[in-house]
Amino acid sequence: MTVYHGEPNGPSFTVLAALFETGIDAAVVHIDLAKGGRHSLACAQQPEVAMSVEGEGPVVVVDGEGMTDSVFIACYFDDLGKSNSLRPSDPFARWEMMTWCRQLIERTAPAAAYLGISAHAPSGDAAMLARIGSVDLRARWQDAVAGAHAEDRLADSRTKIAQAVDKMEARLNGREWLMGEFSIADLESYAWLAGMVELVPSAFAQRPRTADWMQRVRLRPAVAKALAQARQPAPAACWAPGPEINRWG
Amino acid sequence: MYHWEPNANSGKPMLALLEKGVSFDSHYLDLLNFDQHKPEYLAVNPQGTIPAMRHGNRVLTESTAIMEYVDEVFSGPPLMPENPRDRWRVRWWMKFMDQWLAPSFSMIGWNVFVGPAVRSKDPDELKAAIERIPLPERRTAWRKAIYGLFGEEEMNESRRRVAVGIRMLEAALGEREWLASDRYSLADVNGFNLGYALPLSQPTLSNDELTPNILRWLRAIYARPTTKACWAMGRTAMVKRVAILEQSYIGQEHAT
Repeated sequence: MTVYHGEPNGPSFTVLAALFETGIDAAVVHIDLAKGGRHSLACAQQPEVAMSVEGEGPVVVVDGEGMTDSVFIACYFDDLGKSNSLRPSDPFARWEMMTWCRQLIERTAPAAAYLGISAHAPSGDAAMLARIGSVDLRARWQDAVAGAHAEDRLADSRTKIAQAVDKMEARLNGREWLMGEFSIADLESYAWLAGMVELVPSAFAQRPRTADWMQRVRLRPAVAKALAQARQPAPAACWAPGPEINRWG
Repeated sequence: MYHWEPNANSGKPMLALLEKGVSFDSHYLDLLNFDQHKPEYLAVNPQGTIPAMRHGNRVLTESTAIMEYVDEVFSGPPLMPENPRDRWRVRWWMKFMDQWLAPSFSMIGWNVFVGPAVRSKDPDELKAAIERIPLPERRTAWRKAIYGLFGEEEMNESRRRVAVGIRMLEAALGEREWLASDRYSLADVNGFNLGYALPLSQPTLSNDELTPNILRWLRAIYARPTTKACWAMGRTAMVKRVAILEQSYIGQEHAT
């Protein structure tokens, strides 16, 4: 098994931390997602890689098959680990965790990625852009490289980050971790929100439970190890096009 | 189970329950009558989305997550494969359909079916109905459907995605008997809800000549008694389109 990952931010953070939490044995290979490095992998044109809803994220390759989408890769590691340390054991709590992650990917992640690439633009030349298998992902890359960002989308994205932090703050009332026990929901939430502290500071003002929780996440040895994979001084400022903003408006 | 027609999101947990052999109380909500935004239902699911499932004193929403819960909590034939990589593939395809492909199908469906179906209602009543919708995204969607506000560009993009998605489904079903692994799973339950009427709704893109694997797959799912029982709970002409799968061959000429 080989894990191709970018800077430990967004989906690469989730996958690296989940890998180290479960102790699964894998080769770990850094690629530059912010320069479109994923599109040069041998498995880049496999549908489950080219058409990942997550946009630019890590790829786990097993027997030549490329696997994407960080939450489901984390579930895969958890299944392999057999100890089920990353998901609650109770089915209702698992439903809550999957629903939490789903809403995060639908609402929060597109907003975070949009704000992230508008502040820290990724770079891609024409040859890389031509290799991108998904027409709509290529269009998001072209906008990102050109620095084309719509003001109404930026404003809406800031609102969505503030709403996500409000939801976190409420959820963490009386809880150490989002689902009670530590889970993939904590990793995925941290993955998309850590870089927003700098970009939408107002969303985090007077949110002590969220601030304490972020510190607790960072103190986990597996998370520290994931963050130590960084090649850049500020990995939370490294972004590439993420999931698209809901087309229905 | 609080649901509309066995179609798209409502049909997913309904069919999963039937596959597990679990009987359930059916609360039919008429989407076209805005039952899902009425106070009685908002007391069950404040977001006003369909479906929702009450199990004991708990209410669950989000159709794909409900299906995983149903599979885990009830005995009966497993609807997730054993192999971890197959399980990953089931989840990948469900998310791809839920978040990328289905919204394009539904934009077309809302434009040609849902919008026209409710447009004849009293304008003030419609306006009030839109204002009662809790989620801003759903309010936008209904406004677009009711007043026919879908732009040509976004409709073309939806058509492009439907064509790409059909090609991807055909290729995947050429590699495997079922969508995500070699056994029937939640990915097939999900996919059937999305595609059961494909040879009728997209006749130039999906038929026995162009997409034989998709047609084989749809007919195999339709042949299951559980699927028949599920679709028999439908009331509209929309879901009765499933009968197209009783035809043993649907050629390209069907398109004209």
